[in-house]
Amino acid sequence: MAETPQEAVQLKGIPQETFQALQERFPEAVQPARYEGALVPAEKIVEVVRFLRDELGYIFLSNLTATDYLDVKGVEPHIDVVYHLFRMQGGYAALHVEIPREIGKAHLPSVTSLFPSAMLQEREVYDMFGVKFDGHPDLRRLLMWEGFDGYPLRKDWKEVYYEGETKPYRSRYPKGGHPIYAEELSPLKDNIRYPEGWSPQAWDYDEADRLLYERMLSAHRDPDKPLKTDEMIINFGPHHPSTHGVFRMAVRLDGETVRHLEPVFGYLHRNHEKIGERNTWIQNIPFTDRLDYINGMTNNWAYIVALEKLLGWEVPERAEYIRVIVGEFSRIVNHMLAAGFFSNELGLYFTGSLYALEEREHILDLFEALSGARMMFNYMRPGGVRYDLPEGWLEKAKALAYERIPRKVEQMAHFLLDNDVVKARTMGVGVLPPDVAIASGITGPVLRASGVAYDIRRAEPYSLYDQLDFDVAVRTHGDAYDRLAIRFDEIWQSLRILRQVLENIPEGPIVAKKPSHRLKVPAGETYGRIEAPKGELGFYLVSLGKFNPYRYHIRSTSLLNLTALSDMTRGLKVADIVTVLGSIDLTMGEVDR
Amino acid sequence: MNVWQFLADFFVNVGAWMGELLSGWGLSPFWVSLIVKVVGGLALAIGPLTAVLFLIWYARKVIGRIQDRMGPTNDGTAAGPFALLQAVADAIKMLTKEFVFPKERDRVVFLIAPVLAVAVAVAVWAVIPFGPQGMQFVDLNIGVFYVVALASLAFFAMLMAGWSSHNKYANLGAFRAVSMIVSYEIPQMLALLVPVMLAGSMGMQGLVRAQEVPFIVMVPVPALIYFLAMTAEVGRLPFEQAEADAEIVAGYFVEYSGMLFGAFYLAEFINNLSASFVFTVLFLGGWRGPWVEQAPVLGLVWISLKAFLVFTLLTFFWGAMPRLRIDHILGFSWKFLTPLALVMLVVVALVDKAVQAAGLTSPWGRAGWLFLANAAVALVTVALLYRAERRQQAAREARRFAIVR
Repeated sequence: MAETPQEAVQLKGIPQETFQALQERFPEAVQPARYEGALVPAEKIVEVVRFLRDELGYIFLSNLTATDYLDVKGVEPHIDVVYHLFRMQGGYAALHVEIPREIGKAHLPSVTSLFPSAMLQEREVYDMFGVKFDGHPDLRRLLMWEGFDGYPLRKDWKEVYYEGETKPYRSRYPKGGHPIYAEELSPLKDNIRYPEGWSPQAWDYDEADRLLYERMLSAHRDPDKPLKTDEMIINFGPHHPSTHGVFRMAVRLDGETVRHLEPVFGYLHRNHEKIGERNTWIQNIPFTDRLDYINGMTNNWAYIVALEKLLGWEVPERAEYIRVIVGEFSRIVNHMLAAGFFSNELGLYFTGSLYALEEREHILDLFEALSGARMMFNYMRPGGVRYDLPEGWLEKAKALAYERIPRKVEQMAHFLLDNDVVKARTMGVGVLPPDVAIASGITGPVLRASGVAYDIRRAEPYSLYDQLDFDVAVRTHGDAYDRLAIRFDEIWQSLRILRQVLENIPEGPIVAKKPSHRLKVPAGETYGRIEAPKGELGFYLVSLGKFNPYRYHIRSTSLLNLTALSDMTRGLKVADIVTVLGSIDLTMGEVDR
Repeated sequence: MNVWQFLADFFVNVGAWMGELLSGWGLSPFWVSLIVKVVGGLALAIGPLTAVLFLIWYARKVIGRIQDRMGPTNDGTAAGPFALLQAVADAIKMLTKEFVFPKERDRVVFLIAPVLAVAVAVAVWAVIPFGPQGMQFVDLNIGVFYVVALASLAFFAMLMAGWSSHNKYANLGAFRAVSMIVSYEIPQMLALLVPVMLAGSMGMQGLVRAQEVPFIVMVPVPALIYFLAMTAEVGRLPFEQAEADAEIVAGYFVEYSGMLFGAFYLAEFINNLSASFVFTVLFLGGWRGPWVEQAPVLGLVWISLKAFLVFTLLTFFWGAMPRLRIDHILGFSWKFLTPLALVMLVVVALVDKAVQAAGLTSPWGRAGWLFLANAAVALVTVALLYRAERRQQAAREARRFAIVR
């Protein structure tokens, strides 16, 4: 394919020189009109990814997901698997692979040998689309249970209480006016569809876990261990005080020592992405609040960043300032809570977490004054924010950010970081080497505690961050202690940012255009991401130019940060499992979606 | 005997009065002594059970204040002034709850375990001297030994509960309990030998009588060792392992519900209180205090106050300490407490003999020399610990990763 300068300018989703280098090496890589980035043949994908990683410096496979194209005008039905690779600086290179969508024919080579970060993501794509990844070492379902009939994110999969493809559902307004809900109309028996020959009474629940336990028993066996002790499998969770919700870890123990740990997901799975495809673009804003429910503001923000990339809207300066203010306050909330709940996991009988929650309440007061809600904010809008700062808000925020929070953070950091018991419990525990961390797709404080100075606010600045003066906090031991300590370092940096934005916030409009409930987004696709408190939170959006997204995928920080959990806990003691888990800081609402 | 004399030695006088009354009814001395002992024992057993009702409230209040909150309040409830009746409400709730049994439990052992736990916790009180003479249920000449033996039996209750529950968390908890007792009995016994040696008696009453200078002043290091080992034994943070809620949920009693669970909760608090009393007897001079010779009943007040202070300290630990890991705890015992306790035993024995040979018989002179010896050992220990800490820090610094940009 001949390259002309005009075409080169219009390249989307992949840098110019990357695309050229790619085409020189792989002439079959092209950029079709409907995608960002390059389209490569399925059988070449491993080589292409290896080429990008080893020779062009794309060392970070951030996002891997798929889109099911069915009944789209002018497009053959197929499944499009997309890879978003990043360098340490700058934007991404998107790779697309088109495969047939029939079950059995839909398969492509796995890239897990190159990027462990694909482990969970490929499992999710297999789970949601039925795409088999050849060579994946452990291809089981991720969120649904074994034996679930169907692949929920395929466009031909209809769920219980199916009403229509997109909201607002016409069936709810037969005469207009007040809605009628499908749940009220349809009795359960008409809606539940079981697989052929399956009955709930005869279902063997153990069968669902057979694959898991087979893996549990076989993985990392040591046949030559000196004492022939029996090992036992014990399930931490789904209901366990230290799993932050309904998260399950199947652990094979030799006495108190962990031999193998297998995370089991999906207990909080609500098919967020499918619901997101039905919602209109605007309806998804409050829906993102429910992901990482500690940080509703940054969830909003990440979605809005992706959406604004599709819309191509400019954001007024005052709105950007407000976004940075709430985003950094949100980071403080998250890190305080992370440190507090981490101390719970060390056995500190709620003392640390209660002090953290107290500070959270003060910040939530600010958020409530701003958005009307304490948890589900629904505050950001494409092109701005929903409400302007109320009277006296800035003074309160300044009092909090300049006086109270620094004082409290200093106290808390002293109590936790200088505590000998905390040191004994966390130093050298759950060490995560930087190369493993990068390859596993780990982001945020967990990555930076391993000595990788990677922060999206600096690597690919969005909003105001290129004008702000702050440092990327880095710690270099990669153990649980550093993961705890770096959260306090980041709070100090956030306070530094808050000092700058609270002083300099300009007057002006807070939203670029009049917000519309029926927002039509130009056709296209994009991947937008921000540095959420827990790490990279990305949204992969595909628009066909309608009122609803065609694909709405969340690159979940908490899920990807768990990729290395099994390796981090191997050989540690039972008590260290919760130490490592707590130091990673996850929210199940975001893991399972 | 006027009223004041009667009140001054209230408990002994009541016992004597009861004995006379029963003799007056024509009972034989055997029956008289049996009935008086049974009544006394019941009265004694009610003591810790009622004390715990107050202590639960107290511990919740203290931890509430540590955590910058109110603790139980009576805001609009019938919990009484300062929510003092909160524990009563808790108890009623506990008593009315359903028992849920695991299907594959060991039926008999499962039911015996909580009973044993409470019984053992209360039984310690038989040898605690609450006053100069008579105010002790029984003055065993091996009272100290009896206390230690009961402490082992308490772990036996945990093991029974854990094993019979047919639950892996419970098993883990029980195993932890067993490894804890194996490790912590040794420094505890060694530290306990020091006051026994100084007092020349294993009876609790004899130990108190020997403390003209409280042993905590004489031998602070063994007192500290004993205190740490005791904290481990009663399962208080930072040594709480058998029930580590953040790791193995509730450990050995994870399958218990209703008042069976309540029994373990009760046993835990009574254990804390009994351990505080035993520590008071061993190191804080027991019932000693002003005016005890005139009014022996005051001994009860002094010993309770001292034990209450020790209990408060344990509660502070509860609210302010993270939990250590099981291998740290065992290592702490075997690598630190046990050697130190052995050293202390030898040092105290030698110094005490030397002091006696030198003819320093005044209690404060003896105490001074022993204190100096303790201080010397403590200084050496701290210096060694400091070096070890520095080495560890250096080893950790050597393991840091290069920064990737």
